[in-house]
Amino acid sequence: MSSTKSGAFYEVLSPWAEADPIPLHGLAPRLDKLDGKKIGLLQNSKRAAPRLLDVTERLLKEKFPGIQTSRFRGKLFSVSAEEPERIQEFEDWLKGVDAVIAAVGD
Amino acid sequence: MYDAIYIENFGKPTATYVFEHFANDAASAASGKGMPVIRTVPEKIVSESTVMEDIEPAIKAVFNNVVEMLTKPLTAEEKSPKRREQENPPRLIFKGNLAEVNEFFYRRGWTDGLPIIPPTEEAVAEMLTGTDYPADYLVAKMEPRLGKATVERIAINAVMAGCLPTYMPLLIAGVQALVDNLGPGKMAASTGSWSPFYLVNGPVRNDVAVNSGYGASSPGNIANAAIGRTFGLITKNIRGIRKQVEDMGVLGNPGKYSFLVAENEDNSPWEPFHVEYGFRKEESTITVCFPQSYQQMMPFGTDDKGIIATVVGSIPPARMGLFGLILTPNNAQALAKRGWTKKTLKEYIIKNTIIPDDYYSRLGLNLSGPTDRTAFMGPGDDKQIFRPTAERPDPVQIFVFGGFGSWMGFLQGGPPQITKKIELPKNWAKLVKKYQNVVPTYVKY
Repeated sequence: MSSTKSGAFYEVLSPWAEADPIPLHGLAPRLDKLDGKKIGLLQNSKRAAPRLLDVTERLLKEKFPGIQTSRFRGKLFSVSAEEPERIQEFEDWLKGVDAVIAAVGD
Repeated sequence: MYDAIYIENFGKPTATYVFEHFANDAASAASGKGMPVIRTVPEKIVSESTVMEDIEPAIKAVFNNVVEMLTKPLTAEEKSPKRREQENPPRLIFKGNLAEVNEFFYRRGWTDGLPIIPPTEEAVAEMLTGTDYPADYLVAKMEPRLGKATVERIAINAVMAGCLPTYMPLLIAGVQALVDNLGPGKMAASTGSWSPFYLVNGPVRNDVAVNSGYGASSPGNIANAAIGRTFGLITKNIRGIRKQVEDMGVLGNPGKYSFLVAENEDNSPWEPFHVEYGFRKEESTITVCFPQSYQQMMPFGTDDKGIIATVVGSIPPARMGLFGLILTPNNAQALAKRGWTKKTLKEYIIKNTIIPDDYYSRLGLNLSGPTDRTAFMGPGDDKQIFRPTAERPDPVQIFVFGGFGSWMGFLQGGPPQITKKIELPKNWAKLVKKYQNVVPTYVKY
């Protein structure tokens, strides 16, 4: 763009929309260790996601004796945002794990 | 990131793998949903990768980070994040000459890279004459940022894009279409670079001179260019989806500048698109869908047999979502002459677009069936490429536009289309008369 100082002057309005502030949330407390815990492995429908978690699951079991894992397979890109009919199933699964490792394939 | 936020709010710690180039996108997605600090694990696995030779070492390289994300105690900020200063700039944002205004807007990421018309109070006031809605009327809040699409904000972006005031009714209806469900927002952000395609039907298409004939989707008509362009600016400036921050389209798509046409209703042998979907012919509508690609084909023959064979013979299984068949008026007439209706044509395409038996074996691949997401495919034979579902019952759409020629067009991909009625202001006839002569006249040489 040229940086001419001549020409008419324009006082212009902002195109950037206002948005109301939303409530903020902090993170859940962390685990003290992974030994003996049950780790949820959450994948969405993207092709890389299950592959990432296959490797992760193997490494968890190699490095942490007594660890258990449990998979949840999303049918689309986000269970909570796109599969309302499975929310109860999702929450029941969450209740049964101590932490979650998620792969979104992106 | 939405699942990670849900799970953290549920009280369980998470660690989410994120391709390193998605760091900004992940942060924006989480912050937009109220969790400005979230624990992700950047890795070097390309989106949608299937190559275990790459995935295995990439995960091993970051595995200790995964463990750390789940076990390292939270910081004070992570326990109780502080609110970032809200980016709600003052109403009058800048004063300068044309070049300075353009540079200011460009640096803020508010443009599409092309020069904009400065949205002054006067220009916006004139734009607002195109609607009866008051300037502060809230048309919608647009995901993911929940930016407020007030009539004034739409008008500001419309001025920037070069719209005439008579485009405001189409813009308002288009915004209503873009928030009908969460699909349009997701498409705007996706790695697949899905570009919105808009179809205008009804009398308004002539009132505001939306091209439906030769070169309908080429540059040269203000309505086709500026209305589509405004939706692109709205996607950035109201939705808050910006390139390589929230818009992670890998290749990008030139259709995101503008891809908007009117249906060539006058020369189509069939009912207009909006009538097919329950509107009256005298009503005006705008339809949006999100194809990923626009391909033009020369049919095997210009009779019905040649046209249909080109369709069913040219659709590969490596595709996702809606299929839009673009027919010129004469191609549509050739089909109608032989008794084809839109309904029978769609049924034929769905039934007969199949994967040949040796398709994958010839390619040396151990695959079967179409590659669309399984959630988007209904029951059916593995050979069938189109498998309608209850949510996606109509995967094949037919759009009649263009000049009189033999080329056919394919629009590939995306969720089902959304159609909204265009509401007109009371003084519409007077407005149309004021602006109807803004049409190009080409010098002959």
